[in-house]
Amino acid sequence: MAAYLEMMRIRFLAMLAYRVNYYSGVVIYVVYIGSYYFIWQAVYAGRAALGGLTAAQMTTYLAVAWMSRAFWFNNLDREISNEIRDGTVAVQFIRPYNYLVAKLAGALGEGLFRLAFFAAPGLAAAALVFPVRFPSDARLWVVFAAATLLAFAVNSLFNVIAGLVAFFTLNNTGILHTKRVLVDLFSGLFLPLGFYPAWAQDAPRWLPFQAISYLPSLVFTGALRGPELWRALAVQAFWIAVLAVAAAWLWRRAGRRLVVQGG
Amino acid sequence: MALRGLEMARYLPLIARFVAQNLKSRLAYPADFWTGLASDLVHQAANLVFILVVFQHAPSLHGWRREEVVFIYGYFLVPFAVFHATAANLWDFADRYVVRGEFDRVLTRPLPSLLQVFLETMELESLLGAVTGVAAMAWAGRALGLDWRLADLAIFPVLVAGGVAIYYGIFIALAAVAFWTDSRTGLIPLLWNLNAYGRYPVDIYSRRLRFVFTWVLPLAFVGFFPAAYFLRRGAWGWYAALTPAVGALVLAFGVAVWSAGVRRYRGAGS
Amino acid sequence: MAIIEARQLTKEFRKFKSRPGLAGAFRDLFTRRYETVRAVDAIDLTVEPGEVVGYIGPNGAGKSTTIKMLTGILVPTAGHLLVNGCVPHRERERFVRTIGVVFGQRSQLWWDIAVRESFRLLQRIYGVPDAEYRRRLDELAGVLELGDLLDVPVRKLSLGQRMRCELAAALLHGPSLLFLDEPTIGLDVVVKLRIRDFLREINARHGTTILLTTHDLADIEALCPRVVILDRGRILYDGALDAIRRDGQGLEEVVRAIYQGEAVGGGAGAGPGGRRVPELGGGRAAEGGSAVEPEGGRQYGAGGAG
Repeated sequence: MAAYLEMMRIRFLAMLAYRVNYYSGVVIYVVYIGSYYFIWQAVYAGRAALGGLTAAQMTTYLAVAWMSRAFWFNNLDREISNEIRDGTVAVQFIRPYNYLVAKLAGALGEGLFRLAFFAAPGLAAAALVFPVRFPSDARLWVVFAAATLLAFAVNSLFNVIAGLVAFFTLNNTGILHTKRVLVDLFSGLFLPLGFYPAWAQDAPRWLPFQAISYLPSLVFTGALRGPELWRALAVQAFWIAVLAVAAAWLWRRAGRRLVVQGG
Repeated sequence: MALRGLEMARYLPLIARFVAQNLKSRLAYPADFWTGLASDLVHQAANLVFILVVFQHAPSLHGWRREEVVFIYGYFLVPFAVFHATAANLWDFADRYVVRGEFDRVLTRPLPSLLQVFLETMELESLLGAVTGVAAMAWAGRALGLDWRLADLAIFPVLVAGGVAIYYGIFIALAAVAFWTDSRTGLIPLLWNLNAYGRYPVDIYSRRLRFVFTWVLPLAFVGFFPAAYFLRRGAWGWYAALTPAVGALVLAFGVAVWSAGVRRYRGAGS
Repeated sequence: MAIIEARQLTKEFRKFKSRPGLAGAFRDLFTRRYETVRAVDAIDLTVEPGEVVGYIGPNGAGKSTTIKMLTGILVPTAGHLLVNGCVPHRERERFVRTIGVVFGQRSQLWWDIAVRESFRLLQRIYGVPDAEYRRRLDELAGVLELGDLLDVPVRKLSLGQRMRCELAAALLHGPSLLFLDEPTIGLDVVVKLRIRDFLREINARHGTTILLTTHDLADIEALCPRVVILDRGRILYDGALDAIRRDGQGLEEVVRAIYQGEAVGGGAGAGPGGRRVPELGGGRAAEGGSAVEPEGGRQYGAGGAG
């Protein structure tokens, strides 16, 4: 456990070196939010509610969805498939820890860094520019914090799987890029799932992507109430369990394959 | 600028050679090539889906109809595809060339450094985006009953070239920032998707942003203004005439930042 | 006329100093501290056409910085530099046509395409006429035994095969001056021997001047009649290889003694059998170095001229 904590800490420290990204990153995300904010403003054009969200909730949704992305987003997929391909992963086999857990710990360190230096100040900055409404109910903050952490787990596990699959198919950029577009589209990052036409809503609801962005952001806007909150958390937990089993299985197969190939 | 153009003409055979080599090395990994194509298509489809979904909930955006917005997006895809296909190497320029030191090798070759960086890696399969774009324009144009004039055939490539130049200028300047910082990822990945602002009617934005995207970071000249010209939306369409000039200016700016960055890299005093 | 002429060549860098610990790293986020490091400190170096010079020194001695100035990559902070009759950094594109560069750790070939294709691309880049290109390629392929390798993609070559191709790539445009930065790093003995033979041969046949940096002193012993030993940005020794190991000592011991002499004596006394370059006012030193005229160098030079 201490080893994994150390990995988190090291990554956190390493991130401090990349300062330029963070000065500008906050501004850039605000700009991003703006690009969608104006489109949605034009769409609402005075109407009270669309797709289950009011215009004010929509603004809050966009702001919190993007800023949470700074926390849950990581490049684990690319890192893992690269390390397997160039063979550095062989070294990891002889180390006294689990490679995937170590990778996740590193990613969490990076995520926490971006939460502290990017997402939190970013959300404050976004609130200065756009009419973002923060939840007044303390309980909602707690649920949101839990949901965001779970979102990190879902996305990271998903990345682990994508990285391992990219290894098996001997293909890298294409799969990883496609995965990223799918996550952006079906996680509800810029298009809350409630806006899809009814016939298209079912598919995303049965996919794990909604657990990454749509559900936590919805919690933050206050659009979910009572038992709906718990259901959202349960859906996330369900996907974490499924993805964790899949990742562990793929990792064992990848390990066997590496051993056969001699690293 | 004319002089530079002349100079570039001297390099044309070399550029052709590099393009051929790039195609060869892309095809050395057919799987990457095809999934690259597929992922671009998925991306473009996602953006089109967004537009279509938005118009499920509103008949128009500030008076712009669905087909018009699709047309603007389709037009935008053309200069963006050209940029993406040819300037792909700028994406991880900071890491590959500055942090890992490949730029030293570039400087030992008798060609302008910027030209080498452009030529060394291209993602020519991204040119497919231009096909998607033209298809979207054709579909929307037909639905709108657009009247094309013969002159448009000549005007279209000029406007596209202007848009590409704007993108080149902006991203060359951003890549050159790597010469001043030791950051591995650089600013480019964060800014890549700023293109979202170039592909919607600029009048949905606030007055201040409209100003910014017209005169400061002139993204509106890449997609919206030229598209508005072809859509015959008078007032906005007239701005399109400025596209080539804006492109030349922004490109010149980018090249100037690059040159200053190279001077710094070589330690020529800052 | 000398092919390389450096006077008081100096390069300084501004280096970012990171603060220790988490709090320090956090402060670095906002304000950074810099210090000026003098990587190359007023060195004088003269190399005559046809010489083969070994440029050695521990890590951080300023070897690569010197090479980068000599090849036009870096602009010197101070001093005077003339290589092949050009000021390298001022007329970079013209100058680099006259030199060949091999960085052992960095490939100049395109990873995914056949070696031959890389060569053709280089031919276009350097504007080598077809007939000349064919003649050189035939010669290089013959001596380096590239035959079958030419149609293999670079990524499928072994390190030794790749290095042979790198050497050919650096010489396709017929440079009169060749810079080699760690050309034998990671190679096995057989390949090393072959590369040494090759370098000796092009030096003898075409009078190609070679400046070689390496950690492998056996390379130096096999190739370089003249050595320049560098430490902390200064030249400690510049002269004939034979002069510093006449007692039959191994070169390694001699070099170690020279470094230690510097550390202990601070410039007093000479390395065993060698001629110590004065610490200051080194303006004379390099001239002295070329005045020594290492026998081997002359021999190669003569071979080139004849």
